[in-house]
Amino acid sequence: MGKLDGKVACITGGTRSIGRAIADAFLAEGATVVVNGRDAAKGQVCLNEMKAGDRAAFFAGDSSKQSVVEGLIDFTIEKYGKLDICCLNSGGVQMTAPVAQMTDEEWALEVDWNLNHVFWGMRRALQHMIPRQAGRIIVTSSVEGKLGKPGIPGYVTTKHAVNGLVKSAAHEVGTLGITVNAILPGIIETDIVRATGPDSAIAMGLDGYDALIDMFASESAIKRPNKVEEVAAVAVMLATDAARNLTGVLFPVDGGTMPY
Amino acid sequence: MGVLDGRVACITGGTRGIGLAIAKAFLDEGAKVVINGRDAAKAQRSIDGLKAGDRVHFIAGDVKKKEDCIKVVDGTVAHFGRIDIMVPNAGGGSDYAPVVDMTDESMQDAMTWNFWHTFWTMQASLKHMIPQQYGRILAMSSVEGKVGKPAISSYVASKHAINGLCKSASKEVGTLGITVNALCPGAIETDVMMAQGPGAAEAMGLTYEGLLNLFAQESAVKRLNECEDVALVAVLLASEAGAGITGSMISIDGGTSPY
Repeated sequence: MGKLDGKVACITGGTRSIGRAIADAFLAEGATVVVNGRDAAKGQVCLNEMKAGDRAAFFAGDSSKQSVVEGLIDFTIEKYGKLDICCLNSGGVQMTAPVAQMTDEEWALEVDWNLNHVFWGMRRALQHMIPRQAGRIIVTSSVEGKLGKPGIPGYVTTKHAVNGLVKSAAHEVGTLGITVNAILPGIIETDIVRATGPDSAIAMGLDGYDALIDMFASESAIKRPNKVEEVAAVAVMLATDAARNLTGVLFPVDGGTMPY
Repeated sequence: MGVLDGRVACITGGTRGIGLAIAKAFLDEGAKVVINGRDAAKAQRSIDGLKAGDRVHFIAGDVKKKEDCIKVVDGTVAHFGRIDIMVPNAGGGSDYAPVVDMTDESMQDAMTWNFWHTFWTMQASLKHMIPQQYGRILAMSSVEGKVGKPAISSYVASKHAINGLCKSASKEVGTLGITVNALCPGAIETDVMMAQGPGAAEAMGLTYEGLLNLFAQESAVKRLNECEDVALVAVLLASEAGAGITGSMISIDGGTSPY
């Protein structure tokens, strides 16, 4: 018997890293999960590895596109009859440049992926959840949602913004059986961080990827990056019925990095 | 099989309210638990209700006394052989009044009950946790550890102090397998709240009902919290999965705290 038996979840960016760990943890607790990602081949590999049969499905598409985010939610409801848990998880450092050199086009890409994707997904999910008077929205924010680093202003700004969005929405639906929370992980060596970390390191004036990881680790109390499983455990807890009074929380999973 | 199998926990003020809910949740996840309180008769009723056999043990003590705090922690190690999880949970305040009228005794009482007791039990438990390179400290703070209300400055200041203590300690032991976090619940109608709420309300110019209503209205869920809300988070932080969460002040307040 799992803590999420009978629940239906969807997760943007769910085929790898944090999203995948959340998907695996939800499946282990009995939920049905729709994962989203850009690459259909990777999606198929993900489903094969999950071995969850009808309890897992894949929805292909780029989550920085409104049609894809809304499509994921509509697909989930159509296929499984409802949506209990909406994890808006995908995102990352797309563009590295100091504010003085950032172009409008780069800025828009960052805003679409990290902020608008969360807004589009949250809005669509709430339209389904409000009439049902039940739901869980879990946003993957970041330690950079509370702090700032040079060279990645788009990421820092959009993660701050989603924290505000979460707090506002939590108060709008607090009496309707719906909770809205953000998880704020510290640095985790995900595929995205491995892919974009070298550029981020240059933008921050650091000597390569390892120096970037070392810097984040040294800012923490535990002196190591976090792990995807640590985020997944919090996501499971927030997704349960028992967490009905936890809302508007910016839940740190950062090894003691953020000051507040 | 539970997420706390084999772990030993110590909870001050564990015979009722939040502490008892945490004890029950820890026992459900396989831990052995020492509960502390002042009243052995009250404790016996709580222990009977927990139905956990020899996995639960009571140690009497007044947490406002340093020697009792040390006795409770060392007694846990003496009884169960180790201490993995320390929950300084007891707390409250008395004789609330605006700062301009607050007595030294009232400020002292809240600081002793909330802050000093947390410091004493944290220090005593770290002495066991550091050599074993494993530990979880879950200090009971409050939404009032992040925000402030008039006329309860003693409570507010002592809970803010607990948050600072946790942040510092978490950085001292972060690489030793020990996490230190503060739990910040919103208002819960515990026995302590029922006993002290009317006095706090009066100091704020409110009725007791009005005080509870004020807390509920500030939240997103428009109701008070429950002891089980806190226990849910306590289990997560105490488990293996909580290894990467430290120095945090986790809000369990229905969306009240602004950060």
